[in-house]
Amino acid sequence: MPAKKLSLFQAVLLAMALAVVLFPVFWILMTAIKPPTDWNASPAIWVPSEPTLINFKTLFDPNALMEYGVGGVSQSATRAVFGSILASVTATALSVLIGLFAAIGISRYGTESKSTPLIILSGRMFPPAAIAVPFVIIFSNIGLTDSYVGLIAIYVAATLPFSTWMLKSFVDDLPREIEEAAMIDGKSRMRAHLTVTIPLIRGGLFATTMFIFILNWSEFMFALVLSYTNVNTIPVQLAKYVTATAGTLYGVQAALAVLAMVPLVVVGYLIQGHLARGMTFGAIKQ
Amino acid sequence: MSIPKLELVSLVKEYNDGAVVAVDGIDLRVAPGETIALLGPSGCGKSTTLNMIVGLEEPTSGDIHIDGLSIVNIPPGRRNVGLVFQDYAVFPSMTVRQNLAFGLVVRKKDKDHIARAVDEVAELLGMADRLDVRARDLGGSEMQRVAIGRTLVTKPAVLLLDEPLSNLEAAARLAMRRELRRLQSEIGLTIIYVTHDQIEALSLADRIAVMHAGKILQVEKTSVICERPDHVYVAGFLGSPPMNLLAGEITPGQGGATFSHGPLTLALPGDCVLPRGSYTLGLRPESLRLAPEAGAPLAGKVSLVEFRGGDVVVTVDIASVKLDVVLPAAERPVTGQAVGVDFDPDSLVFFGGDSSRRLDLRPMGRPL
Amino acid sequence: MWTLAVPRVATGPGTPKKASDLNPPVATSSSAPDLSPAAPHGGGKPPRAKGGSIGLALTLPGQLVSILVLVIPLLVALYMSFTDWSPTRGSLFDAEFVGFENYSELLVWDTRFLYAVLRTLCISAVCLALEFAFGLSLAVLFMRRFRGKALLFSAFLTPMMILPVVVGYIFWMLFQSSGPVNQILEFALGPDMALEWFRSAPLAVTAVIITEVWHWTPLFFLILLSGLNSVPVNPVRAAVILGANPRQVFWRVVMPTLKPVIIVAFVIRAMEIIKLFDEVFMLTRGGPGSATETISLYIYKLAFNDFQLAYGAAAAFLVLLGALGLIHLLLMPVRNQLLEVKR
Repeated sequence: MPAKKLSLFQAVLLAMALAVVLFPVFWILMTAIKPPTDWNASPAIWVPSEPTLINFKTLFDPNALMEYGVGGVSQSATRAVFGSILASVTATALSVLIGLFAAIGISRYGTESKSTPLIILSGRMFPPAAIAVPFVIIFSNIGLTDSYVGLIAIYVAATLPFSTWMLKSFVDDLPREIEEAAMIDGKSRMRAHLTVTIPLIRGGLFATTMFIFILNWSEFMFALVLSYTNVNTIPVQLAKYVTATAGTLYGVQAALAVLAMVPLVVVGYLIQGHLARGMTFGAIKQ
Repeated sequence: MSIPKLELVSLVKEYNDGAVVAVDGIDLRVAPGETIALLGPSGCGKSTTLNMIVGLEEPTSGDIHIDGLSIVNIPPGRRNVGLVFQDYAVFPSMTVRQNLAFGLVVRKKDKDHIARAVDEVAELLGMADRLDVRARDLGGSEMQRVAIGRTLVTKPAVLLLDEPLSNLEAAARLAMRRELRRLQSEIGLTIIYVTHDQIEALSLADRIAVMHAGKILQVEKTSVICERPDHVYVAGFLGSPPMNLLAGEITPGQGGATFSHGPLTLALPGDCVLPRGSYTLGLRPESLRLAPEAGAPLAGKVSLVEFRGGDVVVTVDIASVKLDVVLPAAERPVTGQAVGVDFDPDSLVFFGGDSSRRLDLRPMGRPL
Repeated sequence: MWTLAVPRVATGPGTPKKASDLNPPVATSSSAPDLSPAAPHGGGKPPRAKGGSIGLALTLPGQLVSILVLVIPLLVALYMSFTDWSPTRGSLFDAEFVGFENYSELLVWDTRFLYAVLRTLCISAVCLALEFAFGLSLAVLFMRRFRGKALLFSAFLTPMMILPVVVGYIFWMLFQSSGPVNQILEFALGPDMALEWFRSAPLAVTAVIITEVWHWTPLFFLILLSGLNSVPVNPVRAAVILGANPRQVFWRVVMPTLKPVIIVAFVIRAMEIIKLFDEVFMLTRGGPGSATETISLYIYKLAFNDFQLAYGAAAAFLVLLGALGLIHLLLMPVRNQLLEVKR
């Protein structure tokens, strides 16, 4: 039985759903290209009559920002962008690397115990706000507050269970015989893993990397708590722009938000095939 | 037959606006209580035909009648036809009882009626003690019985099966064959099943319909069809090993007509009525015998002897041709032996003309 | 000459298409601090006993990181929750040990905490229910045939790809008094229908719910669509042939197959939504008053506004225990099913 066609009613429903889904995205894109005169219009303007890219420039120009400086917002977003890239890329790379080896270790050599999933689940349920506290304490004792090292360390530790679990599901999909064949050919175990296992899961490796990157890039609370003067990430900067100016810096805020969004939407599109696996931490394969 | 239980009338199924013709106009009449096999290789249209009878696909043209009434416009759930899938497709999370009851539950029959029907069918299929087992915990042949039982509960006019034996091991296959035969005799079920396996067809069916490229080439009683193939394709499909087929020419001549295939030449009986032309000659392996080289119409060397328990299949190389001969085990030759091959002229079968149909060699065609 | 395929005696091994392609979380392992050696030398399961040392070497960095950066701070926090420490009082190790005082105060006296918990649970429940309903409807719609499905699919997934802070920010803009939501309301229902979304408690909560549901419905959509696509098709056909109408087919045949998938989706989302922070932070900061204060927000306030760190740590552990208990309770009746699916 071939699938039935969409009825008119269903098509209308779908169209309405699409409108609801895309409207907020449309809104922020429009806001980002609004000239400053349009920002605080009441009622709010939907599509600017004179769209401009100036907000994106203002973001990085401390002097321009000073002009809007209500409550002292003169901080350009350069630091934040730099910080986000540094923290996300480094933390992702480390997390995936460590997770990759751990995944191979567990999949091929480890013991499976019924309680480890529970430990993972419980780890995910712990409110980050609380675990931020001991981090702050420990970091201040070893001089890691307001340093990217500290933030990256947290990001790695927080995402390590996912990267491991997700990669493990990809390694599990690979039959053991493949490595054993390489070993019969004379390679040592480690070589077999490096030259056979890893290349064969490169699709999953890419998906996991992108997924962890999404997590790190989006992270807000730890960055908020741990950033003072040196450390800054895009989400924190966005919050600063909103709170400091009582929100009226719409265009610039939106521009930053769009900057933050675009990489993730692109990445999400790239790994669409693996999204189900990533979002359910390996439980469901698409 | 009087009113056939199931009748297919000029059934056609095309896809892509006629680019692909899956079923090319078939007619079939199935008598009540009969078991018919639709036999053919993948792609011959047998599964499509099954789907059309059930209602999963709509015919492009043609009609299907059950008990004389057209069913093509009736949706699949109301045609009173039962289908057992090749993979059984039981409902895994439901118990056997719930599976069996499904057809009646969705038709909102009352509880007592359902309970009785389920018990009856469970009893019939020997599943009475497994009623509360979850379907996903059953073994293969048990699942099949549940799948069959599920349809029987709704008292279908016709039972359709898709490759019923292919997923079973040898022992289970034997058991299921007996089971289906028993169902046939006990409740007079009309059964149509689809298979690519001739053994499955020969062992279960009263009649076999051989299909190829969307057409039914021949419908014939099981006991007869191997010896009387009507079409060269059927000849090459049935039989283990199938009929030896040689394409060649009949040339009339002074002393009588001859058939030649490459270097091979056979003298034909004097009263051969077939005119000059291209034909395919069929020789049943069972009708051939080994004879001393001298005086035999064909001579060659034994290249292979395949032991099959009660008999052997001997492959004889004659010039560039390989002929299969079936002999009792006791008469088996040695590989490499030079032998002659002889046959009864009455056992020659010729196919030719546009339809590749069997032609009578002699006037009035002497029955084989 | 006719060359014909001689039909072979059937050997088809095909097993009936059974379970869909699921790996339930409960039966797999992970990189949780696994302090026992990966495999004992010599003994243990034979295929894994070999190369025990390499297994250890591979998992060691992961375990190290986990212990250093996860376990130790967790233990510190645990210790802290039994003290009355605050940063103004010097070092943590000099703080006074007060036993379960923090915990009892939270459970008995701290109505703000209890309200935060209740509020979070209610908002979570409503959001999950709505996300499931919308996600399922979308997934069912996507089982039909229509053009541009791939493009639409990507479009519908977009919300969940957006950073939570950005989602919070966008909806903060949308729900402004002069914002588009009010404009639409006025257009549709009349000039007085504009609402002060952030000034009234129920409206603020509604705004939070709408934001969350918009953000995460795509996840349910994705998971349920994936589940629907892996429902084996023959049982569905069998049900149709047996006379079931589409509704009966859906509820009696399709849904049971979907159950494990649905449970995974709920568990995954539930784990995340109880930590709701980013969106609410940007949307309302927990206000008006504490009307939209989720547990995470409350703990954040305790720790970083009021500097009651020990107390906040205790609250966090209570939440952890509660969530563990809840998940355990909810998963219990289903655990067998999940394990069975793995087979």
